[in-house]
Amino acid sequence: MADANAPSKYDAGFAREVYGLENGSYVKQCMQCGVCAVSCATFQCMDHSPRRLFALVRAGRKDEVMRSNTPWMCTTCLMCKARCPRGIPIVDVMHDLKGLALKEGRVTYPQAAMYQAFWKDMSGRGKMFTAGIMKNYTLKRGLGNLGKMMGLKDFGLKMFSHGRVPLMPPKAPKGKKQLMQMVKKAQELERKGAK
Amino acid sequence: MAKKIAAYICTGCGIGEALDTAALVNVVTKEAKVPLCKESPFLCGRQGAATIKEDIAAGELEAVVIGACSPRVNYEVFDFGPNTIVERVNLREQVVWTHPADDEDTQALAEDYLRMGIARVRQSELPVPYQAENMVKSLLVVGGGLAGLTAANEAAQAGYQVVLVEKEPGLGGFAARMYKGAPSRPPYTDLEDTTVASLVAAVEANELIEIHTGTTVGRIEGGPCLYDVTLLSGGQETSRRVGAVVLATGARPYDAGRLGHLGYGRYANVVTGNDVEDMAQKGGIQRPADGKAVQNAVFILCAGSRDPEHLPYCSSTCCVDSLKQALYVKEANPEANVYMIFKDVRTPGRYEEFYKKVQSEGVVFIKGEVTEITEDGSKNLTVEFSDQLLGQAASVEEVDLVVLATGMVPSTVDWAPEDAAEAPGSVPSVQQPLLNLAYRQGPELPALKYGFPDSHFICFPYETRRTGIYAAGCVRAPMDPVAAVEDGTGAALKAIQCVELTSRGAAVHPRTGDLSYPEFAMQRCTQCKRCTEECPFGAINEDEKANPLPNPTRCRRCGTCMGACPERIISFKNYSVPMIGNMIKAIEVPEEDEEKPRIVVFACENDAYPALDMAGLNRLGYNAWVRIIPVRCLGSMNLVWVADSMSKGIDGILLLGCKHGDDYQCHFIKGSELAETRLSKVSETLDRLQLESERVRMVQVSIMDYDKIPGILDDFAAKLADIGPNPYKGF
Amino acid sequence: MVNKSILVVGAGISGLTAAIEAAETGSEVFLVEREAYLGGRVARMNQYFPKLCPPNCGLEINFRRLKTERRLRFFTGAEVLGISGQEGDFSVTVRLNPRFVNENCTACGKCAEVCPVERPDDFNYGLDKTRAVYLPHSFAFPTRYVIDEEVCQGEKCAKCVEVCPAGAVELKMQPKEVTLKVGAIVWATGWEPYEAARISNYGFGRFPNVITNVMMERLASPIGPTGGKIKRPSDGREVERVAFVQCAGSRDENHLPFCSSICCLASLKQATYVLNANPRAQVAVYYIDIRALGKYEDFLARVQAEPNVTFIKGKPGEILEDRETGDVIVVAEDQLAQKITRERYDLVVLATGMAPAAGADMPLLRLDERGFVAPDQVPGIYGAGCVKKPLDVASAVQDATSAALKAIQSTVRRQQNG
Repeated sequence: MADANAPSKYDAGFAREVYGLENGSYVKQCMQCGVCAVSCATFQCMDHSPRRLFALVRAGRKDEVMRSNTPWMCTTCLMCKARCPRGIPIVDVMHDLKGLALKEGRVTYPQAAMYQAFWKDMSGRGKMFTAGIMKNYTLKRGLGNLGKMMGLKDFGLKMFSHGRVPLMPPKAPKGKKQLMQMVKKAQELERKGAK
Repeated sequence: MAKKIAAYICTGCGIGEALDTAALVNVVTKEAKVPLCKESPFLCGRQGAATIKEDIAAGELEAVVIGACSPRVNYEVFDFGPNTIVERVNLREQVVWTHPADDEDTQALAEDYLRMGIARVRQSELPVPYQAENMVKSLLVVGGGLAGLTAANEAAQAGYQVVLVEKEPGLGGFAARMYKGAPSRPPYTDLEDTTVASLVAAVEANELIEIHTGTTVGRIEGGPCLYDVTLLSGGQETSRRVGAVVLATGARPYDAGRLGHLGYGRYANVVTGNDVEDMAQKGGIQRPADGKAVQNAVFILCAGSRDPEHLPYCSSTCCVDSLKQALYVKEANPEANVYMIFKDVRTPGRYEEFYKKVQSEGVVFIKGEVTEITEDGSKNLTVEFSDQLLGQAASVEEVDLVVLATGMVPSTVDWAPEDAAEAPGSVPSVQQPLLNLAYRQGPELPALKYGFPDSHFICFPYETRRTGIYAAGCVRAPMDPVAAVEDGTGAALKAIQCVELTSRGAAVHPRTGDLSYPEFAMQRCTQCKRCTEECPFGAINEDEKANPLPNPTRCRRCGTCMGACPERIISFKNYSVPMIGNMIKAIEVPEEDEEKPRIVVFACENDAYPALDMAGLNRLGYNAWVRIIPVRCLGSMNLVWVADSMSKGIDGILLLGCKHGDDYQCHFIKGSELAETRLSKVSETLDRLQLESERVRMVQVSIMDYDKIPGILDDFAAKLADIGPNPYKGF
Repeated sequence: MVNKSILVVGAGISGLTAAIEAAETGSEVFLVEREAYLGGRVARMNQYFPKLCPPNCGLEINFRRLKTERRLRFFTGAEVLGISGQEGDFSVTVRLNPRFVNENCTACGKCAEVCPVERPDDFNYGLDKTRAVYLPHSFAFPTRYVIDEEVCQGEKCAKCVEVCPAGAVELKMQPKEVTLKVGAIVWATGWEPYEAARISNYGFGRFPNVITNVMMERLASPIGPTGGKIKRPSDGREVERVAFVQCAGSRDENHLPFCSSICCLASLKQATYVLNANPRAQVAVYYIDIRALGKYEDFLARVQAEPNVTFIKGKPGEILEDRETGDVIVVAEDQLAQKITRERYDLVVLATGMAPAAGADMPLLRLDERGFVAPDQVPGIYGAGCVKKPLDVASAVQDATSAALKAIQSTVRRQQNG
């Protein structure tokens, strides 16, 4: 464990790793103005503002960036991207950081688990199935999370009464195979787009 | 003395309604004995002006007195050519627009102004332009760097001959050491080839430019159009006569040896930005210690700048230069990690787009303060700093190259040898011999702050304190190469303008075109040295016996010398001590029991007089006791006018002039300040004469203070009322 | 036959300087200005940094030089319609728009007293109104009234004509077109403030107490709409807490991507206005980088030493309004203190940037992709001042002096070459 008083070392390696992501190279252009920090819809929940997160990326502080809840708080509202004076597509960078975090196995946040749960269910089915997603999510988060889930039961019942929680999985969509091909192509393009 | 005079009184603009103009005509013709005085309802109209012209031709008039609006308006209408003296008596802005109509005091005011105007014009002569033997229009450019080369080239392109002097064996200065230039044209993102080489070639090829390298200026004597220059080169002397001088000797990098705390001089791999330029020119960026490639580089911006312990000022160009040098590092090794530690990133204007470009190349910018730099056994460096935006201590390790972005120090100054390298407040201050002017007030251009011989006027950046000598480029102020090129061009224009005006005997800014100049009646001179010391422009030399030796082409015609001379031996053809004295004597001073005081107001033409006019334009009234006398500068205020006023029975004297002090506005540098100093001396004299020294006051005004003018004038009148009338009235 | 005269387009500080310097050096100069007065945008400033001196002082000297210089002729209300020809031989058509007031005008103001029509005062950036017949500003040179023909009721009113003692009002004045033959042209049409309303998250145009830096100059000016009292627009209260937001619309891909160079110093200067008007006032400056180059650093140090001025490193993301009080709330990340701040102010001043005002498409004048006069022009045409790039006054004068020489060279060069 590094001495808390020792200066933190700038490490170019992690920065380059981020630059290599599809939209990661935009992080280079950040001039640390801070507009994103207070434009973000969920900035009050973030441990690091997007501005600070980018400074951490450039400083090479991989652990802090990967542990940060910032990308996971992003609701893709696009306010930051609209206002960023450097024209950085912050939302897209956050998306890439989320991907990197998942690849690194950092799935501590509920949002991360939700993303994975959603994708696992969707990519198999080709269509949304809330119960399936919730099942995946619960398994991912562990049974210890069940208590919290029970806290949502009133909300869940209300949704159910509005017909928003079908008990049976939906029929497979037409062209599911083609849809899956499109997804694969998109993933391939994403890899190619990364520098 | 102007003998043949006519007077004209305009009755338009309310003058006719407010005053008894027939009575005014009477005063002019009967009292002042001016043979011809006409009234006109619309003097500035075609008819009015035509009448005056006819009268001038018919009567062979030498001068006309125009009682109408301010001299600041209708200037072209009342211009009757160079052989006619025109005296504008301000009956509009300073009489009828500021005083009640049909009032005996207003009438008295108008009458006095006419008397004063006539007295003034009777003491006036047409100026005879100063001419001398062998006046030349060539330029001397001292310094063959970017600004100097540009000044020489641009002047030659306009057809003027130039003598270009450079102390080094080659031309180009620091600009020649630059590997590349920062972007100066769209898209403002790419490094450019430097232009110095082609500029040197153009200068060398130009027949109008005579180049002297390995040469310094030994001595400069004379003045504009008459400079006799001695050049020194390897023990040999050469003489040249030139018309004006451009000082473009540039600046030097701040002595990095004083930045030992940043490792310079201690660690081999700590260099300055200029070292990086040299390296890049020689073929590539590498570790100075062992020639190996640079994988990690850290630039420290503001190294020794914006620092009260080193250079307190910013050197303008170092941020952009560092961005440029960061790209050199990347050029040598695209995989290099480059960090910039800054206080503020100063990339103004279109350089902002260059900043973004350098960032996209991967250069990391960190706002912080370097706390320590250490070296390991392999000469790798560790730079520790406070990372201010992350709020923590941080470091970059295994650094191959640390580049200190040092500021610049003008060539006009250097440190004294005994100044310790670590001395705080180490702005160099020992004057360096660059021009060696044979001027009584000193051999070099007076400097403003930090040794830069800049102008103190935002609107007039080339107005150095020596006429005909213009500073350009980094010697004048820290600037980037693009600005240095513009500056060289601008200074060349001012130098050319100076020789053109001076060769006709005319003054330069601010009294451009003035053909008068001070003449000295030496038989009464007592060698007191006031004029030679007080001239704001060092225009007057001295001989061994302390006799003043005036140099009219160095003169700005402010009249400060005239005001300084206790023997009153200095005068201009159209501005002199007896002239103002006679104006004062022409004022009619009522008897003490009439309780109508009289106040003389000396108003400087630059700010105070316009402020008085603006008060008029806004119809702000003030008391009718004041008699305003415009002067060229309060510096031309001669104390005998105080004596003249007091003995005439004038109750008070008010001086209105421009601000002096550190942020002076006085267009003649210290005229206003000198007036204040002289006044403090006169209070002793007044006290001895049983006259209250409060009778003489000075107030600093700017043109924007026009709304305060009534208050100032009325307050003064009230104070005089408290003191009581001048006891010398009626004597 | 080479024409040795020079045309300068624009009589702001750059155009005035270029024209006067060239004329004093010996050239015949024509100076054309679109507005009814000379001086351009600096006439609308309260003070210059760092000396805090009044622009009218320098302008007065320049006007005096202009008046004594017979070789310089100027035209107000003048617009350049077209340029043709080449270096040494340009033909420029200029339209002289009617002022509707002739040289008899003595600026007595009786016309404005009876005029029934009001219009927004553009000199004061719309902060107050003038009548249809008005003096552009109290220091206007030429000192002559002008009529805004867009709002004037013309012959059917004509009250001004009746009341003018000098017979100076000519409602029937017609535009004139002249063709000037010149050897060189200096284009010095200056800049305009960036449209702050486009920065939607800052509320300009929606919240009355969010103003721009150019408006602040008018509020602080003793000859401005409030007589120099810094009163906030919503309720006229003199301000106690003011925030300056730097880089409002500059250094921004969504607005002006370049830096406008002078706004940092302008805000520092305006901070001194606030403190001079009210020594108890509190000022905050929100910045990304503070750009006080060269010796201007001293001015920054002076303002930083003021205890009532706080500098916050962080550009605001939002500016909100408290409708009830009119107060403005600035939300920004204070990066050096590592926290998000929401602060309440009486007034927010947006340090808006400088966009070039090159004018309509002019043949022979090359503009770059942002509308600035490009560095490379055809021989004989030179840009000067802020129409080339954002500049402070001293640099604009330096630039204009250099342009004067370039223009002179154009008139001499062709002579030399035959």
